Order: sequence, then structure tokens, then C-alpha cells
Amino acid sequence: MLTRALATFVVVLLALGVAPTTGDAQAPIKIGVIQPLSGPVAASGNYVRMGAEIARDWLNAHGGVNGRKIELVIEDNKSDPKEAASAAEKLIVRDKVPAIMGAWGSSMTLAAMPKLEEYGVPMVVETSSAASVTKRGNPWVFRISPPSEMEALGLEQYVDKLGVKKADFLAVNTDWGRGAIQAFGDMLKKRGVQVGVSEFMEQSATDMNAQLTKIKGTGGDTLFLTTAVEQITLVLRQGQEQRLQRKVITTGGSSSPTQLIKQAGAAAEGSYHIVFFMPWFPEAMPDGKLAKAFVEEWNKRGHPFEGLTEGFRGHDGIATIAEAVKLAGKDEPKAIRDALWKVSFTGVNGPIKFDKDGPAGKESGQSKPSIFVVQVRDGKVALPDFLKK
Amino acid sequence: MEQLLQHLVNGLVLGGTYALLGIGLTLIFGLMSVVNFAHGEFYTLGAYATFGALALAGLPFFLALAAAIVLGALVGALCERTLLRPLRRESIDTVMLVMIGVWIAMQNTELLVWGGVARSIPHPFPTAPLTLGPLNIAPVRLFVVAAAAALIGASWLLIQRTRLGTAMRATFQDRDTAALMGVPIGQIHTITFAFGSALAAAAGALLGPVFLAYPSMGDLASLKAFSVVILGGLGNLAGATLGGLLLGVAEELGAGYVSSGYRDAVGFVAIILVLLFRPAGLFARAERVG
Amino acid sequence: MIVRVLLAVAALALVTAPAWLVSPYHLHVLIMAGIFTILALSLNLLLGYTGQLSLGHAAFFGIGAYTSALLALKLDWSFWLALPSAAVTAGFAGWAIGRLALKLRGAYFVLVTISFAGVISLVSINWMELTNGPLGLPGVPPPELGPWTLRTKPAYYYLVLAGAALTYLVCHRLVRSRIGRALVALRENEPLAESVGIDATRYLVLAAVISAALAGIAGSLYAHYTRFVSPEVFLFSYTVTMVIMVIAGGQGTLVGPVIGAILFTALPEALREAVAWQWQMLAYGVVLIVLVFFLPRGIVPSVARWRRSRAF
Repeated sequence: MLTRALATFVVVLLALGVAPTTGDAQAPIKIGVIQPLSGPVAASGNYVRMGAEIARDWLNAHGGVNGRKIELVIEDNKSDPKEAASAAEKLIVRDKVPAIMGAWGSSMTLAAMPKLEEYGVPMVVETSSAASVTKRGNPWVFRISPPSEMEALGLEQYVDKLGVKKADFLAVNTDWGRGAIQAFGDMLKKRGVQVGVSEFMEQSATDMNAQLTKIKGTGGDTLFLTTAVEQITLVLRQGQEQRLQRKVITTGGSSSPTQLIKQAGAAAEGSYHIVFFMPWFPEAMPDGKLAKAFVEEWNKRGHPFEGLTEGFRGHDGIATIAEAVKLAGKDEPKAIRDALWKVSFTGVNGPIKFDKDGPAGKESGQSKPSIFVVQVRDGKVALPDFLKK
Repeated sequence: MEQLLQHLVNGLVLGGTYALLGIGLTLIFGLMSVVNFAHGEFYTLGAYATFGALALAGLPFFLALAAAIVLGALVGALCERTLLRPLRRESIDTVMLVMIGVWIAMQNTELLVWGGVARSIPHPFPTAPLTLGPLNIAPVRLFVVAAAAALIGASWLLIQRTRLGTAMRATFQDRDTAALMGVPIGQIHTITFAFGSALAAAAGALLGPVFLAYPSMGDLASLKAFSVVILGGLGNLAGATLGGLLLGVAEELGAGYVSSGYRDAVGFVAIILVLLFRPAGLFARAERVG
Repeated sequence: MIVRVLLAVAALALVTAPAWLVSPYHLHVLIMAGIFTILALSLNLLLGYTGQLSLGHAAFFGIGAYTSALLALKLDWSFWLALPSAAVTAGFAGWAIGRLALKLRGAYFVLVTISFAGVISLVSINWMELTNGPLGLPGVPPPELGPWTLRTKPAYYYLVLAGAALTYLVCHRLVRSRIGRALVALRENEPLAESVGIDATRYLVLAAVISAALAGIAGSLYAHYTRFVSPEVFLFSYTVTMVIMVIAGGQGTLVGPVIGAILFTALPEALREAVAWQWQMLAYGVVLIVLVFFLPRGIVPSVARWRRSRAF
């Protein structure tokens, strides 16, 4: 029995070691994808995956890149930084991917980043919002999502039109929520807006009544809310139950207003949302045709409409990598990295082009994504009054 | 002052739901000595079953709730018969390990079947809150508290006043004597586990419409349930009820007056303090059963 | 005889691993397995030898990781100073738990450990000034040995291997010593042990301290390998994994946790290869259930039993 156990163990180890590799010139171009496909944010990770798959299929339908098909190698980081690092290692070493897209949450991305430097493989960051991602001096990181500071800047021009005089914050207790409070708080103070209380909620919390009761007592007129759509639903509902009368502005782009309307109903009425994609009126996006086509393809595949506000990230991430491979002419990591600096095209969100960010000599790439504000009115998503021309 | 009252009301409502989670587990953990890490998964099962019954089968709300509870009992019974009974002679740690496996398996099955997107469970109660002076409370939450109270009351009656309840208490107090007296030990075990699981499913069915249904909703529920059980004393139904209410209020007050970030810490610190000074639980008066 | 040969072969294989392992990914898996071996052995001290289950063990792991990372990042301490400091800090936490839970046994002890871990976890998330909260501590420096930086995988692998071997030795000596016998006596029958003069409190606290210190060492090794520490180290799932390793491997034995650690580190990675991502965790759960069903005492004790039965 012991012999058998040991033998099995050795066999398993060997099996992991001696998988054959294909050395075919027409072999597909592999792109690694690391997302949280299980655990508390499984929905978001899966939306990004779905968007990535659309990008892959479109590219392949048009003959692939440099005449070769694109293949996605998808790994689950289980919302755990340790797993994100393991997944990155496996993708780079076992699957030999020349580029990766990932890893959704900022902690996951930060945990995987040392592996990028260790092996010299570039990663396109599609969702993470922590400033540190591009400030660590890791020249293999390229981000197409906005850090919280950029988001706050994007809202700055509308602060007066929204009539924000005294604001409170309620955010999920993660790097994302804390970063948002920091960034928006700084921006508001610069514009002379009074900042009230900053409350937090655990990622898995479902009852926010205590925080809302406190917020109710501050006399503010606006509540900035940063968390995922499930908690936003609960906050809005519980706010309604407590008769919390104030303007709600959600940040971070994960508010999925369609789902919010479905699940929070009347409680969502009047709320504003910062989003990076407007699937309700795709023609208003920088590349209206592409956006519309993306929405149609998404619907055709039967994916939930509410996932579009996150799914587009998967598309743009893969499209960016594919563009770089095209420019590089080969699927070799360093060449792709160099080519990423030359990338300049328009994705679903808008123009994608990387500027240098971080310490001199080892800059990371940061694009300037487009930022939009929408409002829920009469149970539908619409452009706010002050944006209608 | 108004804030304090609102916090108290919030805490009591929250606590009622913790109590419901706790009494199911106090039977399973307290009486059967099964470290049931999958308890939260029965909670999740109850929520999804309600959603399924409402959205897919189109059953009326209260019928859907009942269906969810019945499903919880059935799955619990199945679990006991196939997994726990063969392992009954094994150590408590082995059983705990199996329940961890069940926890992982159930949660990921739910993820596969329903997807990761949270589901909103529709309910027939008006959404406008009831206002009593400075206090606001949603009608659906009042319903949850009332239903929880009814279930807790019914459970107590079952355990204390029926023959079945007597048989259960006898089995877990002294198995061999009970067996000699003709109590069908095997069936009692199955019924107890099914009952505890049904209560967890009831908690999920009631709370699903208040919050949302998503695959990992059971994780926190399991931990809170264990806290409530220890606070109240193993096997002590009344203790679990009071413990649940206490935990809910403590958490609300902690989140409201200390810090919302440390909200769950209040519960933990409370537990540590209780265990330091009254290890048998806050409400233990006599020797606990089992 | 056969067992000796096999063990010798296994030992030789482990020592020469960087030479014959085909890919650095496998070396990565072995390094993680080594770190978890230390963790499993440390948990086994409490669970297997005193019979007390600590479900907050991730707290000691995390405390070790944060201590080591903070000392290296903020005070520029060398790894060789940070590691023992991590052990001491974690050991102190173990002492605190031991004394706190003085009179508690069984389920109550479990709950105190869970609550303690919960509080520490929340502190790490909320005390931004110290731990940087959810943003975590990136850029933890790798160890330096004279002119060399132990940044390469093989170098770090030997470091972890040394750590694991040392841990095994410590546990081995402890278990065979008077202290170990006292612990086992306490586990088997506490009132009886006390009646012959074994001070339960003193020995349980001692076991808790050593157990926590070892977990702290594992945490330090983890921090300097992954070079990123965030509050996720306190995740309950880490504790659950450790518990699985110890119980499935065979608590109360020395080899059990080692085998459990290697098996359950390799298993999720093997599932990554073998199974599509949707089914990985479900498969993991099923494997666990099946394993417990067929080997309820754990792998090593079941094997030992089988061998004994074959002798007749």
C-alpha cells in the first residue's frame, strides 16, 4: 500500500513534468488569462472571461493574428493572491504563454507581478484600480483600466453640476474601496466640497444598517459608494428602508446599473454611476460601431446584459495584446512588451495608448481610459441632464 | 438617542436571523458532536431553493419557503445516511474533514448550477418601510423576525414536549441506555441532522429575499452560527436564541459606535470574553445535554 | 527494509530536486509544499499530540509573514534577523492564546482560536498605518547570504527544504522527549495525567508556543518567497487547508503531515492541469470526501495498519 501510494505520487509528479510540447510553426498564439472564476467575485471574473472569448473569436474569424489563431489559456485565481501567483507561474512556465491578461483584483495583480519580472513576460491589467500597480517600477505591467485618481479626475468637471456640497463615503474594505475614498476625497476637497464620514463594509457583509444610520446623521447631501453591484443593491435597499434621502454616486465601474435596477427597483432611482462602458447607448462610445457590435455579439451568446459593464474589459485586454503581437510580428514576450509601447488603437472603451508611469527607468504603462457618468431615471439608464446636449 | 434606538432595532432584527442559524447548529454540533462546516451551505441551499421555486416553478411565496425547508431536510437526511452514518465510529476530526469536503462540494456545485451572479429573490411585502417615530423598519424584516420566532418556538416544543424530542434528548445523553430502551438510534441521528439542516435552510429561505442569493453566502453564516452556539451553550436552544440576539445587537452597536471596519471583531471579542469568564456559555445553568 | 529504501530514495530525490525536475513551475510547487509542510507539522503538534484543534492557525502564519515583511521593509533588517523575530512574535501570540484558553478544551478552545484569528485578520485590514491594510506590502526583499541573493528558485528551495527538515527534527525530538510523552498523556486522559503530576496548563502553553513559532517561521519563508503580503494570509481557507493536510495525512504521526502537505499542495495544481477551471474546486471537494471515506484515520496510520495486518 505504501509502495503503491509512493508510486502513484511519483507518477503524478512525473506526469506534471513530462507533458509534451508542440513545436509547430502554425501553432496558435497563446494568451494567458487570470481571473477570479470562483469565490465571492466569481460573477465579475466570468464576465471578463466572456468578453475575452468574444475578442478571441472575432480575431480568429478575421484570420487570427499574423496568420495564426489566438488561444486563451484560462486560469482561476480563486480570489486569492497566492493562487494568482501560482497561476501566473503555471501559465508562463507550463503553457509558455508570451503574454497574460489579469488578474482583476489589485491584490491578485500585485501578487502576480513579481513573476512577470522573474520570467520577463508582459501582463495587461484590465480591472485593478490601485495606484501601486503601475508605480512599483515593474516594466512588464500595462494597465488599461483607470486608477482611482484618474476616475476622480474624470468626475471633477461635473461636481458643481451635480450639486455636491457635503459628501460621505461608504466603501468596501479592500484596496479598491480605500483607494477610491482617498482619491475622491482629495479631489472633492480641492474643489471646496466638505467631506463628512468615511464608512467601510467587509467584502462579504450583507447588513449595512449600522453604517447607514451613522451616515444619515451627518447631514450630507451626497453619498459616494464604492463596491460591487451586489453590495450596492443591498446598500440602496437598506438606505430606502431607513429613508436615507440623498444623492448616490457609485464609483469603480462595477455597479452594473441594469442589474441594480432589476434587483433594487425603486431604491436605485436617481442614482448616478461612473462607468467605463455604456451598453445602453453604445453609439455614444468613442467607436460607436465597435461598441454596438460588441453588445450585439454579447446578447447573441445569451450572456446576461448586466455583465457588459465589466465584460468589455476582457475584450479590450485581449485586443490590446493581439495588437501588440501584430506590431511585434512574433509571439515572443520581450518583443510583445516593446510593441505594447507602440500600441495605439480604439477598443470598446475608447482609445488605448500607454503613457509612462512610475519610477524612471522601469516605467509601467498606463493608458487613459474614457470615463462616463450615467443616471437611473424612471427605471432606465439615461445620460444625466447636464450631459444632454 | 434616535440613532441608538435604530441601532438596537437593527441589531434585534439581525440577531433574530443569527438565532435561527444557531439553533439548527446547536442541535447538530451540540447534540451530535458533528463539526458541521457545511451548515452554511444548507443556508445557501435554502435561499437558492426559494429562488428556484419562485422564479422557475412559479410557486407562491410561502409555498416556496416551505419547499425550501423540506429540501433542506431531505438533503440533510441524505447527507447523514450516506456520509455520516458510515463514519459514526470515527473521530470527531474525521467527520469534520468530511463536512469540509461537503462544504467545498456544495458551494462549487451551486456556483456551477446558478453561476456567480447574485440573485434577487422577489417577495410580496411592500418595500416602503414602516415608520414608528424616528425608527424605520422594512415589513419583510418584521416578517423574518416573526417567522424565525415561530420556527424557534416550534423547535422548542418539538424537543421538549414530544416523544420524538424526548427520544432525541435521550439518544444524545446516553446512547446505549436509549438503545436498550428501544429508541431507534440510527433514525434519531438522521432526523436530528435533517432537522438542523432544515432550520438552516429556513434561515436561508427567509433571508434570501432580504439580501441576495449568491454561492458564497454561507461562509460567514457558518462562522456566525458557531459563535452563537458557543455563546449559548452547546445543545441549548434557548441559549442559542438569546446568544443570537445578543450577537446581533453587539455587532450593530460596535459598528455604529466603535468602527464599521471592526464590526465583526466585536463579535469575536465578545466570544473570547464570554469563553474566558463563562466557558459553558452565557446561559448555562445546569449540565448541558450530550 | 523496503520502507527504509523507499524513504532513502524519496529523501535523495528531494535533495536533488532542482537537478532533475523538468520545470521551475514544479520547483515552485515543491517550495509551497515545503512551506505548508512546516505549517502542517506545527498544527500537528497541537492537534495530533495535545488533541486540541486550533482553527486559527493561519493567524500565527500571518503574524510571522507580516512581522518578517515589516522588519525587512521598514527597518531594513536582514532576513536572517527577520525570520527569528517572526518566530518569536508568533510564539508570543501562541503564548497569549495558550494562557487565554487555559481552561478551555474541545469546542471552546476551537472557537477562541477562530475568534483570535478573526480579530487579527481585521486588525491587519484596518490598521493602515502599520500594515498598509488591504493594499498589502509589496516588494518584500529576498534573503541575502553573504554576497549572494537567494532570489533564484533552487536557492530558495534549499532554504525551505532546510527549514522543513529542521522543523521535522524539532518535532521529532520534542515528541520523543519527556515533554512529548507528557503531551500524549494529556491527550489520552487528562485527569489521569494530572493526577500523576503533569501540569496540563504548562504543557499546553508550551505546545502552543512552539507550534505558533514554527508557523511564524513558515510565514516568514512565505513572505520572502512571494514578496507580497496582504491580509489574505489570514484567510480561513488557509487554516482549512492546513487542517486537511494534518488530518488526511494522519494526525499524531510525524510523517503524516508531511505527506498530507505535499499531497494537498500538489493536488490543486494537478487539478489545474487535469480539469477545466469550472470543475477544479468541485473535484477537490470530492477527492477530499473520498479520501476520508477510504482512509478515515489518515493516510499514514491506515498504511501502518495495513502493513501490520499483513504481517500475520
